[in-house]
Amino acid sequence: MDRRLARREGGATASAEVLTTREQTRARYPDDEGYVERDGVRVFYEVYGDREPTVFLLPTWSIIHSRHWKMQIPYLARHFRVLTFDGRGNGRSDRPEGVAGYGEEQHAADALAVMDETDTERAVIVSLSLGAQRSLLLAASWPERVKAVAFISPSVSLGEPLPSRIVHSFEDVLDTDDGWAKYNRHYWVRDYRAFLEFFFSQFFNEPHSTKQIEDCVGWGLETTPETLVNTRLAIVMEEEETRALCEGLRCPVLVIQGTADAITGRSRGIELASATGGRLVLLEGSGHGPHVRDPVKVNLLLREFVESVT
Amino acid sequence: MSLLEAQREQTRARYPDAQGYVERDGVRVFYEVYGHGEPTVFLLPTWSIIHSRHWKMQIPYLARHFRVLTFDGRGNGKADRPSGIAAFTEHEFAEDSLAVMDATETESAVVVGLSCGTLWGTLLAADHPERVAGAVFIGPAVPLAPGHPERNVHSFQERLDTDEGWAKYNRYYWLEHYEEFLEYFFSQMFTEPHSTKQIEDCVSWGLEIAPETLIESSEALELCGLESFRDTCERVRCPVLVLHGDEDAIRPHAQGSALAEATGGTLVTLEGSGHGPHARDPVKVNLLIREFIENVERRTQ
Repeated sequence: MDRRLARREGGATASAEVLTTREQTRARYPDDEGYVERDGVRVFYEVYGDREPTVFLLPTWSIIHSRHWKMQIPYLARHFRVLTFDGRGNGRSDRPEGVAGYGEEQHAADALAVMDETDTERAVIVSLSLGAQRSLLLAASWPERVKAVAFISPSVSLGEPLPSRIVHSFEDVLDTDDGWAKYNRHYWVRDYRAFLEFFFSQFFNEPHSTKQIEDCVGWGLETTPETLVNTRLAIVMEEEETRALCEGLRCPVLVIQGTADAITGRSRGIELASATGGRLVLLEGSGHGPHVRDPVKVNLLLREFVESVT
Repeated sequence: MSLLEAQREQTRARYPDAQGYVERDGVRVFYEVYGHGEPTVFLLPTWSIIHSRHWKMQIPYLARHFRVLTFDGRGNGKADRPSGIAAFTEHEFAEDSLAVMDATETESAVVVGLSCGTLWGTLLAADHPERVAGAVFIGPAVPLAPGHPERNVHSFQERLDTDEGWAKYNRYYWLEHYEEFLEYFFSQMFTEPHSTKQIEDCVSWGLEIAPETLIESSEALELCGLESFRDTCERVRCPVLVLHGDEDAIRPHAQGSALAEATGGTLVTLEGSGHGPHARDPVKVNLLIREFIENVERRTQ
């Protein structure tokens, strides 16, 4: 926070939300950072280290921002150049109005703009959950810029959704807020924090995840339920499109999937590996955030993957 | 042993290079040795409510720099469970410690004690100065300053009509609600947020000793009086480092600062820490222990 405040006082304008939460100290601070603007929307990026190749940690759903990579950055930056940015809708990035600003093609274009701005010709891209869709778009649209793709707990329209997640409507007013009924726009506006607490308790279903849940709830509170509703309504990439993108992928692919994933289930990851011809690593007993809950294992897998493609 | 076998031990970051039993007056204790460096760091047992696995965040780190010796104190882990209060005095633990040093050919060591481990750590240093090159005490439980007032409200021996809070520190409650007592006690030991893992570990180690045995060990430690402990402290000649959390809910920080003063040692106050900083803040504690040992080494060379 002190660094951010200092920078802000130095003239750069930070979004007001930054000031509402006190940032924790970091194991490693960026060597470079900045904003990229596209159509009036700014996103905030960070660069760590300078060893080739670049590992590009993409944004996931804007319910959290790039700090969720905090267990990867210090380790990977000792071996590679690491690039990351806050997806529009959270962190130090802007919150455009309306649904259209949050389409997958917008996120992919932001990612490309960040690569351009940081002179990143090519990168190994790593994504979590919903980040899979923008990863696929980026890799398919600009194959010369993407050396390889690693997906962690991919959220894509392949495989089967979890039965518990298709019971309730997101749009309708419900007469219950039990369990996944909290995944509802009216509930979000009514009790945003309670939704975040529930969602991240499902996200991190391993024992002893209180810290990880607390972090994510804190990051979730940096955006608003209204913004999050817009990001949710923009999520559209049907199975057909997803499959077409997968088939078009020519680069090496790694999929890391927890067997106890209570957010997207294990089947989507397994199916994505199959559709892309990628390597599948199943993490026994892991939930949706293995990179946070089991960072050593995931970091070693990522490093080994990056080294294998370079 | 049957309890130990019943519970599946967690995997370890590092396994001992040597291990064995030492017997004294028919009571066996179980020791482990890690690494080969100099000097030896001797991680002492604490109150038998837990055993030597509570040092698990120290062993792998310290063993990269020094030789590490530890053992399960009588009453828990792979050590025997003798009966009778007399079997659990600080003198017995000190003698066990010396026997473990002898069995492992450890001429001299820097000892590290947690909480009640301070009682036998100081005794060992006072009675066998040639065997103790330095001593680190973490959250020392010593009679040099009053305990927390809330721990002084209820009788341990008498049946109470409440089990609120520290009223759980009561022999009848232990005999009838042992696991609930352990959960309460360790929630007080680890008062920092996000301590669920540390609490769960300690509760399961606590279940490896029977409440009847824990009662005897607890009564034995009550016998350590202020006068004899002051005398022990005055006889400690080695360098001493005391680490005490300022949020310690088991033993007040004043006990740690009084110990540092009584032994001429250095006090490091760990801001926001509870009674188990070595488990909750291991990097900080490990670095402090290592730095202390290296200073002791430099002084003796």
